[in-house]
Amino acid sequence: MSQFLQAAAYGVVQGGLLGLVAVGFSLVWGIMNVVNFSHGALAVTGAYIAWILNIRFGVDPFLAIPVVAVALFAFGYVLQRGLINLVINAPIFLTLLLTFGLNLVILNGLQLLFTADDRTIDTSYASQSFAIGAVNVPYGRLAACFLALGITVALALMMSRTRLGHAIGATGMDRGAARLMGIRARHIYAVTFGIAAALAGVAGTMIATVGSFNPTTTPGQLTLDAFVISVLGGLGNMYGALVGGLVLGIAESLGGLLLTGTWVNAIAMAVLIITLVIRPSGLIGKAMYGGRVEV
Amino acid sequence: MTQKPSAGPVAEVLQGRSRSTQGMFGDWIRSRTPANSWPVVAGFAVFAAMLGLQQLIVPGTQRLLTSVFLFVALAQAWNIIGGYTGYASFGQVAFFGLGAYTVAVLMNNYHVSFWVALPVAVVVGVLFAVVIGVPLLRLRGHYFAIATLGAAEGAREVVNNMTSVTGGGGGITIPTFGSEAPTPYFGKPGFYLAFLVLAAVSVAVAALIARSRFGYAMVAVHEDEDAAGAVGINTTVVKVIAFAVSAAIVACAGAFYAFQQIEFYPTDVFDASFTVLMVIMVVIGGSGSVVGPLAGAVGLELLSQFLRVNLGSFNQLIFGAIIVLVVVFFPQGVVIYLRDAWRTRQFSILDNVRRYRL
Repeated sequence: MSQFLQAAAYGVVQGGLLGLVAVGFSLVWGIMNVVNFSHGALAVTGAYIAWILNIRFGVDPFLAIPVVAVALFAFGYVLQRGLINLVINAPIFLTLLLTFGLNLVILNGLQLLFTADDRTIDTSYASQSFAIGAVNVPYGRLAACFLALGITVALALMMSRTRLGHAIGATGMDRGAARLMGIRARHIYAVTFGIAAALAGVAGTMIATVGSFNPTTTPGQLTLDAFVISVLGGLGNMYGALVGGLVLGIAESLGGLLLTGTWVNAIAMAVLIITLVIRPSGLIGKAMYGGRVEV
Repeated sequence: MTQKPSAGPVAEVLQGRSRSTQGMFGDWIRSRTPANSWPVVAGFAVFAAMLGLQQLIVPGTQRLLTSVFLFVALAQAWNIIGGYTGYASFGQVAFFGLGAYTVAVLMNNYHVSFWVALPVAVVVGVLFAVVIGVPLLRLRGHYFAIATLGAAEGAREVVNNMTSVTGGGGGITIPTFGSEAPTPYFGKPGFYLAFLVLAAVSVAVAALIARSRFGYAMVAVHEDEDAAGAVGINTTVVKVIAFAVSAAIVACAGAFYAFQQIEFYPTDVFDASFTVLMVIMVVIGGSGSVVGPLAGAVGLELLSQFLRVNLGSFNQLIFGAIIVLVVVFFPQGVVIYLRDAWRTRQFSILDNVRRYRL
């Protein structure tokens, strides 16, 4: 029983972090209809920035977050404005290919700069934990989970309360009508991608704090997780990403307890496909993005 | 007045109701003129040239060209479902892996000859395509792409975990020497021929389908699925057949690849980068044409081999940058760009970039 509770607790904190990985991916997919293959690479880029700040200047990873966020927002903005906007009206697999190409460039760039070694950001508190009954909760993962929660709520509030959020939502629903209302779609798309990149960077920093990362296997795994979570949660839905992340986190950690080998991965894929066939708009998503006419 | 019983939806889609197959072939022969038979002539000429070329080159170069032929077949297969029918599958590698493992399991565990295992592998690929195609082909756009990606990942995990049959993550080995071997190993020259024939057959299949009634049905589904249904095309049947034909070619390629590799792991033959390469080759060459995937596969595989040999650790970086540049400058594919530019005499690449710009 205590083993079960421990796995569930680990699943919850891991799920919050996975939700933060996916929320930007889901935003970009929902608003711009772009499946961003380079999302994991952006997350790892953020992790490297935080890692350098930590080993060179001794900056705590939680304090490095604003720097990482600003740097990746700028990178994402330029990427969308200068490159992805050029093919945004093309058939879907072109944007997929473009981001796949970007993924190769970023990953191999990082590998040439930092080698393929596993890295981790060492802090005095990340590996410490406290106990509730028989369950151990590590501080680092708990903080990362709360941060993910806070960022998701802030993002959802921004989308529903601010002019910028409304502009992003309107552009996602009907770009033509939004432009007629005086919204600069190019700028809004770039801002959306910038936000997504910044969130990816923050998620990468957290992953580097609670675990380890490298430029060869981590990005692909993160992008695949983001895929599954976005589909589970529903596209363009901020809370959906969080719910999808929690579902995946808990399912993986409980599955790891009950099943041998990597059967848990096969089951995750089966859940993904069944969700898509039965409810393509996600567990709590609206039908809007699924049923939208693709222009 | 009695009505003739219908031959069923598949036969109607494939052949049309009024013509027999023989009549179609006769029409095709009679309609040949010097002006419209050049693709057939060129195809045979290239095939003969490749046969001749084999006598002139060393085995190492034969190995390189073998991988080019492999990708020609894979790109043509992807083009049938992704290019013509417009359903961008990101899980075609599932059929590659299933074909490879079917051959390996039959040859290793049951000592079945390769030539028996090969058709079984194709049947397994087709069956899997029909089983996952019927539910998944209802999804459109990204949703189909992700679902097929999930199916491929799931297939890999199942093969990975069925350790007693497939050897699991420890890999599997096909016996190729001595009395253990059900079929003697082909060697580099043998595989050169095998993959050349595979590539030629896949190009021929793609070309025949593209000009057939079924090919027009696929394009109609691509252009507007609701309208295609409204004019009487059974879109589900068309999509599933296109998916199954594509799967058959990919499974066949996987079967040959398995025998060529001798020893492999689930991560090798279910590697998602095979799917991505198929997509890239088709899109960069020009999807929805026969020449496009051919040019894309030959060009990109040669380029990638060249970069690997000459640029060392920078090769993937440069490869990625080239993909980005080609997607931005030739979003409709290089072959389609050249064809349209030749027809309209408009060669401006800047105009071409503006096409899909926001």
